[in-house]
Amino acid sequence: MNGVGGPSDRSTAAVFFLLPAFAFLAVFIVWPVLLSIQLSFYDWSGISPVRTFVGLDNWKALTGDGVFWRALGNNLIVVALSIAIQLPVAMALAVLLHRGGNRLKIFKVVYFFPMLMSTVAVGALFKAVYNLQFGVVTPLLEAAGLAGLSRDWLGDPQIALFSVVAVICWQFIPFYMILFLARLSSIPNELREAASIDGATGGQYFWRVELPLMRGIIITAMTLSLIGSLKYFDLIWVMTEGGPSRATELMATYMYKEAFSSFRMGYGSTIATAMFFIVMTAALATIAIRQRRSEEA
Amino acid sequence: MARIPTLRHCSFALAAAFIVLLQGCGAAVPADAPGGKTIAIWHHQTAGDGPKLIQQAVDRFKQDTPGVDVEVVAINNDAYKTKIKVAIGAGNAPCVFPTWGGGPLHEYVNANQITDLTASMTKDNYRDRFPGAAFDSVTFGGKIYGVPVENTAIAVITYNKAIFQKYNLKPPATDTELLQIVHTLKQNGIAPFALANKPKWPGSMYYMYFVDRLAGPEAFAKAEAREAAGFEAPVFIEAGKRVQALVKEGAFQEGFNGLDYDAGATRALLYSGKAAMELMGTWSIGAMKGENPAFYRDNLAFFPFPAVTGGTGDPKNLIGTVGDNFYSVSTTCKDQANAFKLIQYLIDDKSVAARAQAGRVPPVKGFTSDDLILRQIIDLVAQAPHVQLWYDQELPPALGEAHKDSSQGLFSMSMKPEESARQFEAAAKSYYK
Repeated sequence: MNGVGGPSDRSTAAVFFLLPAFAFLAVFIVWPVLLSIQLSFYDWSGISPVRTFVGLDNWKALTGDGVFWRALGNNLIVVALSIAIQLPVAMALAVLLHRGGNRLKIFKVVYFFPMLMSTVAVGALFKAVYNLQFGVVTPLLEAAGLAGLSRDWLGDPQIALFSVVAVICWQFIPFYMILFLARLSSIPNELREAASIDGATGGQYFWRVELPLMRGIIITAMTLSLIGSLKYFDLIWVMTEGGPSRATELMATYMYKEAFSSFRMGYGSTIATAMFFIVMTAALATIAIRQRRSEEA
Repeated sequence: MARIPTLRHCSFALAAAFIVLLQGCGAAVPADAPGGKTIAIWHHQTAGDGPKLIQQAVDRFKQDTPGVDVEVVAINNDAYKTKIKVAIGAGNAPCVFPTWGGGPLHEYVNANQITDLTASMTKDNYRDRFPGAAFDSVTFGGKIYGVPVENTAIAVITYNKAIFQKYNLKPPATDTELLQIVHTLKQNGIAPFALANKPKWPGSMYYMYFVDRLAGPEAFAKAEAREAAGFEAPVFIEAGKRVQALVKEGAFQEGFNGLDYDAGATRALLYSGKAAMELMGTWSIGAMKGENPAFYRDNLAFFPFPAVTGGTGDPKNLIGTVGDNFYSVSTTCKDQANAFKLIQYLIDDKSVAARAQAGRVPPVKGFTSDDLILRQIIDLVAQAPHVQLWYDQELPPALGEAHKDSSQGLFSMSMKPEESARQFEAAAKSYYK
C-alpha cells in the first residue's frame, strides 16, 4: 500500500461507487416489485386498513378479463407500429443528415426538438392540434381539398389508437435518429473511400456497408422500442386516458385505473405484476436472440 | 499518481452526497411555520373565481389564528380524484380536503381516514346553518363526515339566448320538442350540444336524466338495492337507446368523445357560438360568470332537462347535489380543532357573499340572491321532489367507474344499449357478490 491501489483497495472503491445505486434500486425498484407481487394475492382497496388474502382469485379473474387482453393487444399494435415506423424513418433521417454534413447541421437540432419537450406538453399540444373545432388538422385537410378525410381523431374508437401512435412516433423518431447518427459517424471514412474507388453508388454503400455495420445498434433500438411500447403510459394517459371505450387502453393505463380510480389496488397489482412478467419475458427473449446472433457472427 | 487521489475524493464525495440524500429523505416533512403549525388544504376550485374564494377565506383564518400557517394546494378536478386517493392511501392526506360525498367518501370513512365531525357540527347548532338535505351524502351510520361548502350544483341545460332568438326557439318542455331544437340547430350548422366526454361523467348526465324521467328516482334506488333486474332493468336499456338516438341525431359537436372537460373546451364552444347548449352542473354558470361576464350578462340562460314522452318520472326531479363539495378533516391531521375552524371560514358569511357574487348558490339555509339566474336555481332546488346524487359519486368507486365506462360506450356507439346495461350489471354483481 504505497499510494497505488491494490486489488482490495479497488474493490472497496467499487463497492463504494455501487452502493448508492444499489441501495436506490433496492428501495425504489426491487422492493416495490416484490410488494406488488405480494399484493396481487390480496383484495385491497388501497386505503382500507384491512386486506383480504384471496389466493389466486385475482389471477383467475385476469385470465378471463377481456379488457386486459384488449389492452395487451393494443400494446402489441403500438409495439409493431413503433418499430415499423420509427426505426425506418429515423434511419432515413440519420442517413440524410450524415451525408448532408455541415449543410444540414441545423436540422440535427430542429429534428431533435420533439425529444426535448416533456411528454405531458406534447400530449396537451396534440390534443389541441387534433381538436375538431379549434385544431389545425381539419382546416389543413380542408385547405388541401381533402375535407372528406377528416375524422374525429381522438374520439372515434376505430382510429384513436392510430392518432396517438402518430404522436408517439413524432416524439421518439428523433431519439432513434440520434442513436443511428452516432453510429454512422463512427464508421471510418476509409470504408467510404474504398467503396467509392470500387465504384459503389450511394445506395449500394448504404445497403452493403453501412446497414450491416449498424446491425447491433438497430437491434438495440428495436429492444428499446419493444420494451418502451409494452410499458407505455404517459402520452396515452394525457391524450385519451385509454378511451374512448377502451380503444386506446394499454396495460399500464388499465392498471392505473383499476388501482387508483376503482379503488382495486389488489387487482391493479395483479395487472402490474402480469405486465412486469410480460415485459421481462420480452426483454430476456431479445437478449437471448442477440447473444445467439453475435455468437453466429 | 494524479488519478488515484481523484478517485478517492470522488468516492468520498459520492458517499457524502448519499448520506446527505438519505438525511434529506428523513427530513421530507412539511416545514412548520415559525413558532407554529401548518394546516394543509387541497381543493379543486381552479375555474373562474374559485382559487380567489378559497384564498380569501384562508387569509381571514390566518389573520384570526396567529401561529398557524395554511398551505393551499389547488389541483384540476379530474386529476384531483386520483391524487387525493393516493395521498390518503399513503397516509399523507392533507388536513382539509373536499369530496363529493357518496361512495368514495364512504370508502375513506370505512378506512378510518375521515374524522367524525358530528360533535363539532352539533356544537352551537352549527349544523342548522345548512339545509338538512345537504348532509344526505356525507352521513354514514348517523355520523356526519363532511361540511357542505362550495355550491348547490344541479345539472341543467345552459343555452345561448341569442342563438335561440335567432332561430325562434323556445326552451323545450318535452324530449320531442328538444329533438326539434336539435334538428333546427343542426340544419343551421350549429352544434346543438357541447359535450366533453373524455372524462365520461359529462355524458353520464344525459343517461341519468333519461333514467329519472323515464321511471323516476326509484328505478336507480331499486337497482342500487340489488332488487329485480338491477341495472339491466328495461329502463336502463331504454335510457341507453335515448342517448344513442341523440348521438345519431348529431346532437353533439364533432369530436365530443375525445374532448377534455377541465380545460373549459365546452364553454369555449358556447362562447364562440359553435354550440348552442350544454347539459352541465350549475358550477359551469359560476365559471362563465368569472371567465366571460359579457356572455353571462347577455347570452346565458338555462332550462331544466325536459320531460320524456311516456315517462313516469316527475320532470321537476333533479340530478345533482345540494351541497356539492363537502370538506372533510383527515384523521391523520395533527390540529383537528383548527382544521374544522378553517372549514368554517370557507363557508362563513363573507364566503357566502363572495360565492354568491361569483355566481354560485352556497348551500346555506335561507340563501337568496338578486341575480335572476341564481334565483332560478334556488327555486328549482326548492321545488324538486327529489335530487339524485351523480351515479359515479353515489356508487362505490368500482361501480362508479363501471357506470362511466358503460355510459361512454353508448356515446361512442361501440356498445348496444343492452350490452352496456349488461356490462354495468355484471360489474354490480361481481362487486356485491
